[in-house]
Amino acid sequence: MYAQAFFVAVFGLAAIGFGVVVFRTSSMVRSALALLFSQTAVGCMFLAMQTEFLGVLQIMMMATEMSIMAIFMVMFMMDPGGLGGMDMSHQKRFSIGAGVSAAVIAIAVALLSDWGPAADQVPDAAAQTRALGMELLGRSMLIFETAGITILTAMIAATAVAIPVQNPASKNDTEASE
Amino acid sequence: MTAVLIVALLTGAILFGIGLYGALSQTNLVMIMMGVELMLAGSMVNLVAFWRFLHPEAYSGQMFVLVVMTVMALEMAVGFGVAIARFRARGSVEMEEAEDLKG
Repeated sequence: MYAQAFFVAVFGLAAIGFGVVVFRTSSMVRSALALLFSQTAVGCMFLAMQTEFLGVLQIMMMATEMSIMAIFMVMFMMDPGGLGGMDMSHQKRFSIGAGVSAAVIAIAVALLSDWGPAADQVPDAAAQTRALGMELLGRSMLIFETAGITILTAMIAATAVAIPVQNPASKNDTEASE
Repeated sequence: MTAVLIVALLTGAILFGIGLYGALSQTNLVMIMMGVELMLAGSMVNLVAFWRFLHPEAYSGQMFVLVVMTVMALEMAVGFGVAIARFRARGSVEMEEAEDLKG
C-alpha cells in the first residue's frame, strides 16, 4: 500500500513537473518531448494504480502522438528552436488566474468531499482486460461503435480540410493556354 | 488507500490547471492543442482513480477512459488538419492572426 502511494505520488509529481516545462521552455521540440514525458508519467500512474491495460495503452498512444506533434511543431512554428527568444503567449495574467482557479476548485472538491471507503483489491490484469472486453462488446457496445464511427469521420474530415483547394477558374485558364 | 485517491485527484486537478493556463495563454495552435491534451490527461487520471478506489467492479469507468483517449486522438487529427489548412492559406498558425474567419 505504501509502495503504491509512493509511486503514484512520484509519477504524479513527474507528470506535473514535465507539464510545467511544456509552457516554460522556448524550444518547441523540448516542449513536445516534455509533454511526451508528462503523458508517459500519467501512464505510469495508471500502472501504479493497477490499471495495466490502460497504462500500456496510454504510453503507446502518447509516444506516437507526441512524436507526430514534435514534427508538426518544427514544421509550423516560426521559431522552433527557441533561439530568437520570441514570446508566443498572450493574456498571461488572465490565463494564470483561470488555471489557478480551476486547480484550486478541483483540489477543494477532492479534499472536502466524502469519498467513502476505498476498495482494497482489484482483479488482476488478465481478469480486468477480459472484463473490459466484455463491457466493450456488451453493455457499452453502442458507445464503442459510436467512437469508431467518430474516429472515421474525423479522419475523413481532417484529410478533407488538409487537401489544398483547387481554384476551378485558374485550372480552366491553364487548360485554355495549353 | 484514500490517501492514494487524494494524491491522484490532486495530480489530476493540477494537470488540468496547467493545461487550462496553456490553452488560454498560448498564441500558437499546436501549443493550444498541447494545453488541451494536458487537461484531458488530468481528467483521465481522475477517472482511473475513481474506478480503482471507488468502483473497481464497474468497468464503464475504464470505458470512459477509452472514450477520453479517443477524444485526444480526434483532437490531434482535426487540429493538425486545421493547422495545415491555415498554414497553406496564411503561412502561419498563430491564432492572434485568426481573429477574423473570413477565409
